[in-house]
Amino acid sequence: MDHCELTTEPINVGAVARRVVPPECGATVTLDGYARRFTTRDSKVIETEYLVYEAYEEMALKEMQKLAAKAKEDFAISNVGIVHRTGKIEIGETSVVISVAAPHRKDAFAACEWLIKELKRTVPIWKKEIYADGEAWSEGEAAE
Amino acid sequence: MSDMRINVLFFGATADIVGKRREELEVDGEVSAGSILDELRTRFPYLAAQKLHISIEQEYASSDSIVKAGDEIAIFTSVSGG
Repeated sequence: MDHCELTTEPINVGAVARRVVPPECGATVTLDGYARRFTTRDSKVIETEYLVYEAYEEMALKEMQKLAAKAKEDFAISNVGIVHRTGKIEIGETSVVISVAAPHRKDAFAACEWLIKELKRTVPIWKKEIYADGEAWSEGEAAE
Repeated sequence: MSDMRINVLFFGATADIVGKRREELEVDGEVSAGSILDELRTRFPYLAAQKLHISIEQEYASSDSIVKAGDEIAIFTSVSGG
């Protein structure tokens, strides 16, 4: 069973990884994406105090489900779990978990990388970075 | 052609720029997504500096997509989840 979810609560990474495991699988690859304190931008180090994520919830869930379905078409994998947290995220806390269960690890690694890349490109969720002296909406991967 | 009302939702940077989360527009009959973007850029000039995306009924749309009465429209900047 695939599992897509948005939550304002802390994400239990292990639980997401476990719930996608069917009997034909031998490996689950799980990405645990969490809030980074230091970011280098234009060779300047920026310190983030915390993050706030906002989602267009109905559309974000639809897009996450589309990604899970497409990944299963394109890769030899069995199940996908995608959970994204919204609201305030402290440094080091998990913002996104993607778990991919597959009969063999190679396909799970490839699908997981594809899923996070596409999630950052298409799923309507926005990240605001809060610094000591201000805040800014992140411009996403394209700008990094 | 009769008047129709369209509800536009804003998220993230666009919500901050316009200072609200939704705006009601009145248009004459069917319109394109592009003409809605033009109207919003006129109402909220600061939007003009942004690269904007538009969705119709929670699906990505292009500027020539047609908006019908009752459709849920959203305007937002490039996504940055993950």
